[in-house]
Amino acid sequence: MLKKPQRDAQDFAGEIQAHIELEAARLRGEGLSAKDALDAARRSFGNVTTAQEHFYESSRLIGLHHLGQDLRYAARLLRKSPGFTLVAVLTLALGIGATTAIFSVVDAVLLNPLPYADSSALVFVSEAKPQNGVKTTGASYLDMQAWREQNTVFTEMGGTQAHDLSLTGRGDPTTVHTVVVTPELFSMLQEKPLLGRTFFAEDNKKGAAPVVILSEQLWRERFSSDPQVLGTTVSLDQRGFTVVGVMPAGFHFPPPSKKGGIWIPIVQDPVFGTFLPSRGGHYLSVVARLKPGVSLAQAQANMDAVNTNIVRQFPAINNAWQIHLQPLEQVTVGSVRKALWVLLGAVLLVLLIACANIANLLLSRATSRGKEIAVRIALGAGRRRIIFQLLTESAALGLCGGIAGVLLAYWGVKALAPFLPSDLPQADAIHVNGVVLLFALLLGLAASVLFGLAPALFAADTNLQANFREERGRGSSGGKRGRVRNLLAVVEIALAMILLVGAGLLVRSFLLLTSVSPGFDVTHVVKAEVSLPQFQYSKPQQWDAFANDLLPRVQAQPGMQETAIGLPLPIVHPFVNLGFSLPDGPPLPPGMPDTADYASVSPNYFRVMGIPLLRGRVFNDHDSAMAPPVLLISETMAQTYFANRDPLGQHVKFFFLADAPVSRQVVGIVADVRDVSLSQAPGPMMYAPFSQLPLWGAILVTRTSLSPGAVATAVRQQVAKIDRNLPVTDVGTMPSFIDATVAQPRFRTLLLGIFSGLALLLAAAGIFGVVSYSVACQTREIGIRMALGALPGDILRRMANGVGKMALAGIVLGIAASLGVTRLISTLLFGVRATDPVTFAVVVAVLIGVVAIAAYLPARRAMRVDPVVALRHE
Amino acid sequence: MPTQKDDRDRIALLQGTLDLLILRTLIFGPQHGQGIARAIQQSSDDVLLVDHGSLYPALQRLEAQGWISPQWGTSENNRRARFYTLTKQGRKQLAREASQWRRISKAIHSVLGPETAES
Repeated sequence: MLKKPQRDAQDFAGEIQAHIELEAARLRGEGLSAKDALDAARRSFGNVTTAQEHFYESSRLIGLHHLGQDLRYAARLLRKSPGFTLVAVLTLALGIGATTAIFSVVDAVLLNPLPYADSSALVFVSEAKPQNGVKTTGASYLDMQAWREQNTVFTEMGGTQAHDLSLTGRGDPTTVHTVVVTPELFSMLQEKPLLGRTFFAEDNKKGAAPVVILSEQLWRERFSSDPQVLGTTVSLDQRGFTVVGVMPAGFHFPPPSKKGGIWIPIVQDPVFGTFLPSRGGHYLSVVARLKPGVSLAQAQANMDAVNTNIVRQFPAINNAWQIHLQPLEQVTVGSVRKALWVLLGAVLLVLLIACANIANLLLSRATSRGKEIAVRIALGAGRRRIIFQLLTESAALGLCGGIAGVLLAYWGVKALAPFLPSDLPQADAIHVNGVVLLFALLLGLAASVLFGLAPALFAADTNLQANFREERGRGSSGGKRGRVRNLLAVVEIALAMILLVGAGLLVRSFLLLTSVSPGFDVTHVVKAEVSLPQFQYSKPQQWDAFANDLLPRVQAQPGMQETAIGLPLPIVHPFVNLGFSLPDGPPLPPGMPDTADYASVSPNYFRVMGIPLLRGRVFNDHDSAMAPPVLLISETMAQTYFANRDPLGQHVKFFFLADAPVSRQVVGIVADVRDVSLSQAPGPMMYAPFSQLPLWGAILVTRTSLSPGAVATAVRQQVAKIDRNLPVTDVGTMPSFIDATVAQPRFRTLLLGIFSGLALLLAAAGIFGVVSYSVACQTREIGIRMALGALPGDILRRMANGVGKMALAGIVLGIAASLGVTRLISTLLFGVRATDPVTFAVVVAVLIGVVAIAAYLPARRAMRVDPVVALRHE
Repeated sequence: MPTQKDDRDRIALLQGTLDLLILRTLIFGPQHGQGIARAIQQSSDDVLLVDHGSLYPALQRLEAQGWISPQWGTSENNRRARFYTLTKQGRKQLAREASQWRRISKAIHSVLGPETAES
């Protein structure tokens, strides 16, 4: 076929001409006159133009030719009606832009949550003790070593812990995020250093020289990217560590992680290094890499066998403990997963509404172009040709929208960055990449086909006469097309309703969450953290002495009304959960957890934090290390564990390394506080005096009228007077730190709020368009009615009736759909149910209001129709 | 469509049948489009109606297959016309299609039976 020699149209025309002449000659031979013969010959041949067109179309790439024609025509048309083009492109750009921006986040966070080689083979290995309610916790170093030696399913296994060490001698003393690792971690992740080496097994032997690996960021910021850094010594908690490597910029572990940290072998760590000989601890997060071809289930079976072995060997410590395997990706993404899918779903709804809007616009236009299309058909354009042309137009529009959408997405991803929760995995890897771009362009194409199809089919479906007629007597209802447009408007209202209900539920949850009373009042409280180098300040007595030295100094500063030490602070620090026993009482019933959250606090703590004392007394200066050990418990703890007796005077024993043999007497009961998070109801809680059970470091809380900056300066001065190498970090108001813990709910609430706002706007624009169009179509009819005596109010009522039906249908549909959809976000809600009637009622009211306004504006025009002008309208 | 007298007895040609008839007509020597149409109509006692809308596409199709080759020439009444000649390949194709056609028509015939057998 392709070898066919080109034959020009002229030649073909000649052939046809010859045919007709030959036929005419034959007919003349049969006795017809010259003219009649020619006419008969022409008639018998049929449509010469069609034959020539057939020839023309079969002899070249006609589709391409038409496409070019259509594209030129589409461009001309879009230029000619800039208002329509602007609205359509903007609508589409908003839909595609928002979708692409959110998809960029989903792509980075959900689809590629782990920046490591073959990361799907990485599994998180945790311990659990279901009978005590412990779902997932770490392992001890000894347990992990046993796993590592006995398993047959992993190529390698590594454990981590993390805390802050103070870095001195490089600028201001500071704390640096330190990931404490077993040396195999890097080879397990298959990560290569930027400079130097990663750890060897020898680095983790007792007595080995202390070594450290720097992150690229710390190397850049504190070592000015010095390539000679290898072999130099840095001071961590006042102990020299030799730099052996620098990891590349994108590397961090464990994910998600703070930036700019360091890695040290666990044996060198001042805290966790001392834990190594104990089998009973649960402090290491363990990650392992599956051997190729090994499934998670096979690995789990193997680890179960290993565990049975370990339990048999060490029944006293490991009895009832189990090993759980989970894909690391799943653990990392965790709670964000749901919120992101919900956001993606929401943004796709916005896109759908945008498409419905565009379809509405194009449909209106296709209708008003009915005459043009009728003329085209009359001139011989085929149905396929018309559909193709209309599709080209909407595809051109879709492409413009797609391009504008991609630009918007670039801007959107940048604009999103400050709102991203800092604990989002891979947050720094979020950018508009090739995949996302492709996604956007496909969306643009899909959307344009979607909204291009409806008008194209309707336009080409009508017969000629109807189209010619329509121009004269536009019916009042608009017929089939009018119904489709109304249906689109109904769908828009329903979709907007779903988004509004979702956003409304999240907003209500967020308001409830942030207004929940945590049980303490920290409105004017500023926090500052002083880290004590653990090699120098290694004994609890030193920590206590430092606190006793520092507190009166800070207290003496002007503006500091009340100062205390507490660790950990509720909500802003990870909570500490301790096991305990009640030596005075009967044994706990089986299944009742024997753990409670715990804090070490100085006497003033309860006054600074505004935690009310309910009975007994709070701590005072007499509760020193020498004095009888005492304890405060929370209301919930009193009710849960001392239901039938007075807790005051009872004894509690901690399962805590530093405090194991001591029985503490309960001297008071304080009110409950939310210490885990704002959203989690208070559980049982215990407080011990800082002096009796100090923890390293001092977390200061001070009730003050000063700014955080002034507090930081004052505290730094006083700390420097005691030891000028101590870093003071994380200074700020307590409310701001608590606020930061709700970054994720705020993020999703904000985004869903924006999306539902967009949806509402688009739906309003859709209603506006539909009503405007129907007013324009009915101008003549309205004129007649008014000429016959209808009042403007009657006309408005007529319009309102139609819009009211659409709104009602949309809302009913929306409520039904919302009831189905909101169940999906029930786990993201706090304090409200997914079917919250208040939210539904408010959303319905808002929708009715917006629809009413969107419909009233064009309807007003209908009321002002001048009957005389309207009747002359055609 | 060209409308002519007593169309009811005429049979519109099946796609493919026309190709066969064109090839068959050209066995007797080169012919132009009008001549081909005329020959088909005549040899079928005016039963087969050649729609010119499909004649020329069919000619182009056959030409593209290389079964016929075109050449401008002069007709019996001294008019320039495009004459088509059957090629060697065209002859082979005709033999193939004709035998196939005969098989089919024989099959149809045996299913329908002779007209006289109907009672």
